[in-house]
Amino acid sequence: MRIVVGIKWVPNTQAVRFDPKTGTLIREGVPSVVNPHDLPAVELALQLRDRYGGEVIAITMAPPSAMKGLEHVLGMGIDRAVLITDRAFAGADTLATSYVLAEGIKKIEKDIGKVDLAVFGQETIDSSTAHIGAQVASWLDWPYIYYVHKAELAREGVLLVERRLEDRVEWYEIELPGVISVAMKALKPRPVSLIRKIRVKQENPVIVWTNKELGLDTRCIGLKGSPTIVSKVTFTPEVPRKKVVYKPRDGLDAAVWLLEQLAKDEKAGKVIERAVRGEF
Amino acid sequence: MPGGSTPQKFDVIVVGAGPAGSAAAYLLAKKGFKVLVIERGRGAGSKELYGGRVYAAPLREVWPELDKEAPIHRWVRKERISVVNGETVATIEYTASKPVSFTAYLPELAGWMAKKAEEAGALLVDEVRVDEIIVENGKIVGVRSGDDRVYADVVIDAEGANRLLLEKLGMVERASPENLAVGVKEVIKIGGKNIEERFGLEPGEGLAWVLVGVTSGAPGGGFIYTFKDTVSLGVVVHLRGAIKAIESGAFTDHVYKLVEGLRIHPYFRKLWADGDIVEYGAHLTIEGGLSFMPKKLVAPGFVIIGDAAGLLLNTGYTIRGVDFAVYSGKLAAEAVEEAFNKGGPTEENLKVYEEKLRDSFVYKELVKHRGIEKVMKDPDFFTKYPAMLTLTLGKLFEGEYEEPTILEALLSSAREAGVPLLSSLLKLLWVVRRL
Ligand SMILES: Cc1cc2nc3c(=O)[nH]c(=O)nc-3n(C[C@H](O)[C@H](O)[C@H](O)COP(=O)(O)OP(=O)(O)OC[C@H]3O[C@@H](n4cnc5c(N)ncnc54)[C@H](O)[C@@H]3O)c2cc1C
Repeated sequence: MRIVVGIKWVPNTQAVRFDPKTGTLIREGVPSVVNPHDLPAVELALQLRDRYGGEVIAITMAPPSAMKGLEHVLGMGIDRAVLITDRAFAGADTLATSYVLAEGIKKIEKDIGKVDLAVFGQETIDSSTAHIGAQVASWLDWPYIYYVHKAELAREGVLLVERRLEDRVEWYEIELPGVISVAMKALKPRPVSLIRKIRVKQENPVIVWTNKELGLDTRCIGLKGSPTIVSKVTFTPEVPRKKVVYKPRDGLDAAVWLLEQLAKDEKAGKVIERAVRGEF
Repeated sequence: MPGGSTPQKFDVIVVGAGPAGSAAAYLLAKKGFKVLVIERGRGAGSKELYGGRVYAAPLREVWPELDKEAPIHRWVRKERISVVNGETVATIEYTASKPVSFTAYLPELAGWMAKKAEEAGALLVDEVRVDEIIVENGKIVGVRSGDDRVYADVVIDAEGANRLLLEKLGMVERASPENLAVGVKEVIKIGGKNIEERFGLEPGEGLAWVLVGVTSGAPGGGFIYTFKDTVSLGVVVHLRGAIKAIESGAFTDHVYKLVEGLRIHPYFRKLWADGDIVEYGAHLTIEGGLSFMPKKLVAPGFVIIGDAAGLLLNTGYTIRGVDFAVYSGKLAAEAVEEAFNKGGPTEENLKVYEEKLRDSFVYKELVKHRGIEKVMKDPDFFTKYPAMLTLTLGKLFEGEYEEPTILEALLSSAREAGVPLLSSLLKLLWVVRRL
């Protein structure tokens, strides 16, 4: 099986702060990471390869600094990686990004060999659109399924996937080549291994493509190829915390204490009164 | 590369890409040794803007290009020492004719050093933790990380102050909380122009400022450093004394409050007015010093350098160790090369490292500052003496009609601060000689 897995190099949003005055991200000094939701996708791809043989190729469209992220997944056991990097791709929304990734997969098929499966994470921590898997599938005209927790080959050329929803578990068969998105936290990613990482450093199995190699129409990529407009961003105002800690004996004690506290609060007190009077 | 666990062999494995590890790796790689550096963090150094003051000369011995290439923020031209008692502040300022130290963000500096090692040919693998040093037949032969084992003729332990690997080897004991200090700091961005104006500096010049009397009676002190466009202020408190101070009721605040107290202190707050706090953090550090040094710094196929070897000086208000770390890395690299030339890295042949270290400025500095430990145990140094000094100066300078003589001022201040004058003067002299 030849599996391609998509990786995004994102600012670590846990470390990002917002400038409340301008409403923009302060990215200064914020370290980037591999999008954490991509790691279960990497793990699933590696498990499939370990079971059925073949290779896993990571693909990312990113600035050159993403090499560090590729090193990470290569250290986990990815066989080689493709870094698509070019100023022409900058400023892309999900449409332009998925277009470039789909073209990247086509080029992998041309240069390296047939791809059976493309795997993506559920969404990214810096934009949470969950578009990419679906859009890549559309560009390639491959079947797509998301929220995947497990996957195995049902038979030659058919993947059996398990997806868990709130109230049920579903199984689907999808014909390969196909695209899946793996649910967040579906699988625990394996750690980076010392020996693999040494080999990554020695062999550097990363292929770099710019738009010279891909030759895409500049109207369809980067800022020009991106119809999405972010019209406004607002922030949830910070609620001042009272910083009171109460150690209840049990659940009932906790509930009583909480009610008492709320009753003392003018606004909450009124609501409680109305509730007691049966006004809701 | 599925699974792959083919054995890998290097001449030297360095554990930890801090200043010590990178210096050793750089020098050995330059001499043609096949060197592997393993670092558990991403890149060298942590991600934080941890900043400090670093002495340049020992670093230049390893990297003569230091001044031109390293991520130096400001050359320290001005030194200040202040004794703070409530709102009163007594300050001594010294302007150096020629700066010998610079300020830098330690992770940036460590990153530069690691890059130098890589450029010299060392293989740096980050995001991988060494779990164990492998011992076979009484000899150290390599490292284990997870299921992976990698072998080398020499392993250099540069794991820093948190010496889990050395503990596992039984070469050191676990540091007791008594020997730890906690540091809390803030980094405030005010812009380079403001720094130069507010601290009276020329462009590129910096200031290092040590504060006594800002720890609510707990042993420790504060510091202020200037960087390119930020100022860092922080407080270090020694746990051993802090516990005592808490028990005696002298110290009631959370350590975080101490830094905040410094930030909003009426005397200091103007210095960073209108700035943005860009970083905030706390660190545990060792007290360091000779008592922290392992009994042996070498074993067959094994050398310990940097903080792991106890080469750290915690004076109570500042921490110094980067220059020691780099220098010990240099000495270890020389020793390893000599050992190889003498037939191999046996304990006998590596011993020359211990000798070189004992003859170096590093060891001499540590010996010289031995007295610090005693100071740290004496709460008077952080409560009564600062009070006495500022009270004395207050009496000298704040008399509205009458001006006392210095002796009168000293005597009455000593009484108010509750210390016998003569013994405290003697103690102060004793300390000053050791600082
Ligand atoms: C709060 C604070 C402020 C300081 N301020 C100053 C200052 O102003 N000036 C100054 O000169 N010094 C200062 N120091 C001291 C200085 O940081 C140290 O002395 C110096 O970094 C020691 O270098 P090192 O290479 O020995 O250890 P470290 O810099 O600690 O490097 C050790 C490295 O080993 C890695 N490591 C540890 N265990 C493993 C493992 N098992 N596997 C893989 N990697 C591992 C760590 O991640 C780390 O990167 C300060 C220290 C602290 C804590």
